[in-house]
Amino acid sequence: MTTTSQKSPSVVEVSVSGAPRRGMASRLLSRLGSGALQTVLVLVALFWMVPVIGLLLVSLRSEADNTNSGWWTVLLKPAELTLDNYRGLVDNDVLVRSFLNTVYISVPSTLLVVGIGALAAYALVWMDFPGRDWIMVGVVGLLVLPIQAALIPISQLYGALGIFGSILGAILFHVAFGLPFAVFLLRNFFVNIPRDLLEAARMDGAGEWRIFRRVVLPVARPALASLAVFQFLWVWNDMLVALVFTSPDSAPLTVALRSQLRQFGTNIDVLASGAFLSMLVPLLVFFAFQRSFVQGVFAGSGK
Amino acid sequence: MTAPRETPAWRRLFGPATLFLLPALLFLGVFLAYPALYSVVRSLFDASGSQFVGLGNYTRMFTDDRTLVAIRNTGIWVLVAPALVTGLGLVFAVLTERVRWATAFRVLLFMPMAISLFASGIIFRLVYDENPDRGVVNAAVVTVHDVFASPSEYPGARPRGDELAEDTALGGFTTTRAYTVGETAALPLVGIRPGEMPEQAAPAAVPDAAEGTIEGVVWLDIALGGEAGTVDDGENGMPRMTIEALRDGQVAATTTSGDDGRFTLTGLGAGEYEIHLTADNFTEPFRGLTWLGPTLVTPVIISSWVWIMTGFAITFIAAGLAAIPRDALEAARVDGATEWQVFRKITIPLLGPLLLVVFVTLMINVLKIFDLVFVIAPGSVQADASVVALRMWQVSFGAGGNQGLGSALVVLLLVLVLPIMYFNIRRFRRERS
Amino acid sequence: MSAPTPTHSRLLRPLGVGAAALCLTLVATACGDGGSASADGADLDGQALEIVGPWAGDEQKAFEQVLALFEEQTGASVSYSGAGDDLQTVLQTRIQGGDEPDVALIPQAGLIEHFAEEGALVPLSDEVSQVLDDNMAGAWTEIGSVDGTAYGVYLKVANKSLVWYNDDLFAETGAAPPQTWEEFVGLSEDLADVGIPPLSIAGADGWVLTDWFENVYLQTAGPEMYDQLAAHEIPWTDPSVEVALETLAEVWGQEQLMLGGGNGSLQTDFPTSVVNVYSDDPDAAMVVGADFIGGVVTASTNAAVGDTAQVFPFPHVGGEGEAVVVAGDAAVAMTDGEATMELLRFLATEEAAREWAAIGGFVSPNRNLTADDYADPVLGQVAEQIVLAGDSVRFDLSDLQPAAFGATVGDGMWQTLQDFLADPSDVEGTMERLEDEAARAHGE
Repeated sequence: MTTTSQKSPSVVEVSVSGAPRRGMASRLLSRLGSGALQTVLVLVALFWMVPVIGLLLVSLRSEADNTNSGWWTVLLKPAELTLDNYRGLVDNDVLVRSFLNTVYISVPSTLLVVGIGALAAYALVWMDFPGRDWIMVGVVGLLVLPIQAALIPISQLYGALGIFGSILGAILFHVAFGLPFAVFLLRNFFVNIPRDLLEAARMDGAGEWRIFRRVVLPVARPALASLAVFQFLWVWNDMLVALVFTSPDSAPLTVALRSQLRQFGTNIDVLASGAFLSMLVPLLVFFAFQRSFVQGVFAGSGK
Repeated sequence: MTAPRETPAWRRLFGPATLFLLPALLFLGVFLAYPALYSVVRSLFDASGSQFVGLGNYTRMFTDDRTLVAIRNTGIWVLVAPALVTGLGLVFAVLTERVRWATAFRVLLFMPMAISLFASGIIFRLVYDENPDRGVVNAAVVTVHDVFASPSEYPGARPRGDELAEDTALGGFTTTRAYTVGETAALPLVGIRPGEMPEQAAPAAVPDAAEGTIEGVVWLDIALGGEAGTVDDGENGMPRMTIEALRDGQVAATTTSGDDGRFTLTGLGAGEYEIHLTADNFTEPFRGLTWLGPTLVTPVIISSWVWIMTGFAITFIAAGLAAIPRDALEAARVDGATEWQVFRKITIPLLGPLLLVVFVTLMINVLKIFDLVFVIAPGSVQADASVVALRMWQVSFGAGGNQGLGSALVVLLLVLVLPIMYFNIRRFRRERS
Repeated sequence: MSAPTPTHSRLLRPLGVGAAALCLTLVATACGDGGSASADGADLDGQALEIVGPWAGDEQKAFEQVLALFEEQTGASVSYSGAGDDLQTVLQTRIQGGDEPDVALIPQAGLIEHFAEEGALVPLSDEVSQVLDDNMAGAWTEIGSVDGTAYGVYLKVANKSLVWYNDDLFAETGAAPPQTWEEFVGLSEDLADVGIPPLSIAGADGWVLTDWFENVYLQTAGPEMYDQLAAHEIPWTDPSVEVALETLAEVWGQEQLMLGGGNGSLQTDFPTSVVNVYSDDPDAAMVVGADFIGGVVTASTNAAVGDTAQVFPFPHVGGEGEAVVVAGDAAVAMTDGEATMELLRFLATEEAAREWAAIGGFVSPNRNLTADDYADPVLGQVAEQIVLAGDSVRFDLSDLQPAAFGATVGDGMWQTLQDFLADPSDVEGTMERLEDEAARAHGE
């Protein structure tokens, strides 16, 4: 732990020539070079955490305390800490219902985006048909379309279909606006899947659907997991689409939290505690999927 | 459009491809392509949608100062922000690869993504608050600054009456008339809260004239019911004030006032002198920087976007790194390559396509940003911080709802993405050949 | 697009007075006290109504209590949802989708006109108009009308001609609430002399600055000119505007009278400006603004309204008599139906207003309420000021403008007055810019 980072390159060389077994080499390297590196990373992590810690402390103080002094002063007078802001939020039937609504909206939206996106990306990479490059380019172009540009035309459409103010309307909208990124991302992952893998399956007489399910999906799990997490987050934290396309009965958490805001005022008490409450589920999801991220794309396939 | 390849006939069947693509195309067509076309058509009509105005909205768009500022800012965003985030993401992903607590680190940096943009905006509004009692950045800046320069005793004090006037050349205040040796000077000041005076301040007293010196008093002339310009009961002198006698702009003598505000300028030759209260008596305390003012607001909002999105970049780049076959890296290391060479010659080329995907995604995300700007920039600097997507939002839904002009701004966004599309189509073609 | 002008309100005045007199003779039933609404209230069993409005939080809770009263009396069920700042987006998309709420609460007179022109509003029935005349000054019906057709029922209003001060700081320095503008400026200078920045101004929020301007203009130019300027019948380059701007510059031009000076003010948003005056260690002594500042004081500081937080009317400039700038949220009908009109009728009654007044955080234009009906004595005093002003209340001028000029961040009146705050010496240039932008927004 005493070596500095400047020394590490020579250590690498020594270890490479002296210890040809790679396990040992990397172990030695991590032992010696990681002291400085770890320090730097700890500092970066702390720096990154400042706003979140600030938000947490703000959420644990009364509004009047927050306006009177900065949140860091609470470290010197912990007596100010209180759960009142959270109590005010949780003590509310609407919150439970809107929490469920959020789940009902974000889970299907996420699954549909991943599923439909993966199918399309598979077709765009591994199937041969005219115009597939142009479809890809179209998808990239549509990535830039801001949500607000679609509000009016889709409102007219929903009005005609009679699904205004329903959970279904919100889901469909989210799926559509999640797809360009999904297709774009997955296509670029699928392109790197070794051709041999698919050819081998084809030799065995597997159909497209079977290849897709048995070969591509397992191999692409990390990509699918990353996509799912981000899609989930975006839908979970969306307010604009929910505000326009849901009704009070189908409104998600963001809209319900918003309805706790006073028309005039800093509202920082509601916002901070609300942000923390609604952050919990996405963080759980992230932890749950974390294992999938780090598994290699080719894990278990290239034996 | 591509050269026919040797593929089994069943793979060229149109059927399965259509089935695989159909759901996506349906969604994209209805929810994105249709609104995009709708915007193109709508941009040719006026606010009410009934009057065809041709390219009128476009001329209006490009002659409007506020839209031009928005276009300029969008340019800054696109040039700076995506590269910064991709770079940071790559650095952190590579560095954490060999740290045991990599997961913890990545979760920490991922956290901002789990907070809604609206709440993030509120956080940064708070972090960058100009008031050092509330904004943590200015609190830190001021603390550091005050270590090197101690604050002055009487910030914000001003002369009462016309005995003294602001000295534009030297700073501080100088008497409006000259005093001869042997005279006394009474110099009233205001603008300090009595409770904020130095503790040793004692009731002010007008000194008697003395041979060979200029005697005087500086005091806080604010007793209730007192008379302006005269020393009343209950009015305190201002201690520790640095006072100079000036002759032709040259300092002839310097002194410091006592607890009762009295001072004596000695060692003066016969003649007339102006009395000068030096600027360092009155220096305003350093209050940090106006982060959310017109000049710094865009960099500040970019920094908060970087804070949010770096977790996004790390997640994907780390997944890509994990996918690089260990064998290739180890083989290079065995051949004696340094870590830097391994990184440059093997990691980067293998990660290339993924980095590009992350970069393009970020770039397009940047074009769409509007809520972050809306929440962080105070109303008075919103015009300075505006970006195209925010302008579109305000024009369409804010100001009486001009969907025509708003649609023209949507079309502008679609045009801005054309270079990215061109770049991508070349890449797709290359990948297939 | 021209804004509805309160000029015609004088025509309505005799009618309003007549109706009030009628009300006195007929007693109870028509003018509603207590159970009258249930007596003639329609039976709406099983009907569902939806309301969308800007209120959230405590205001939403209070409003839902008022609605519960309606539900009890009629058997209808009413659901309310708050859209906050995105109200216009929500309403616009829902109108496009053909799924408009039955009733919308609109915080801006200009927006009523916008929706009326789109054909999205249903005019008030004669019966509702009658109830309005029984309960409010004719000026309110007029403000809620577009081209002579009445659409809006003003339920919750704001008195914008107030100055809030920190009584502890006033006591410490022996200051007393000023009556006239000269006294106000003098007091401010005295406070600055004793090292207390007198005014906290939320320059980051343009509407705060337009409120300053409107109060000064209404007093220096008088109600007639005010109406003409609101309708853009006189240009913003009129000498009367110059007088108002120069009066404003007497305060805005003195850096030491504003906490943080002009540039510091431009960084201060509305809640912060209130907190600056009422925090435990206050930074400034006064903040100019509407009655709803009381809500911010209660929610965000340890100070108490009526104790540390006190209020005096905006000082007289030139002595034109009582003049109050008001704003408010109007209920409008978006669907045609008996239940919808019945709800609007209910919202216009004294009964609905009294219910909310007793909860607090509410000011009604209803003249049948007295100060005693209000839970909060300060608000009672504020409401009385509005009722006393009768037909000489003037609606917030910027809210009467097309939104592009009167209510847009970084545009029109808001931005121009922000620039004027940064450089109050440029009266001429400010007038020209205001005129330019007003002319464009009015489509001239």
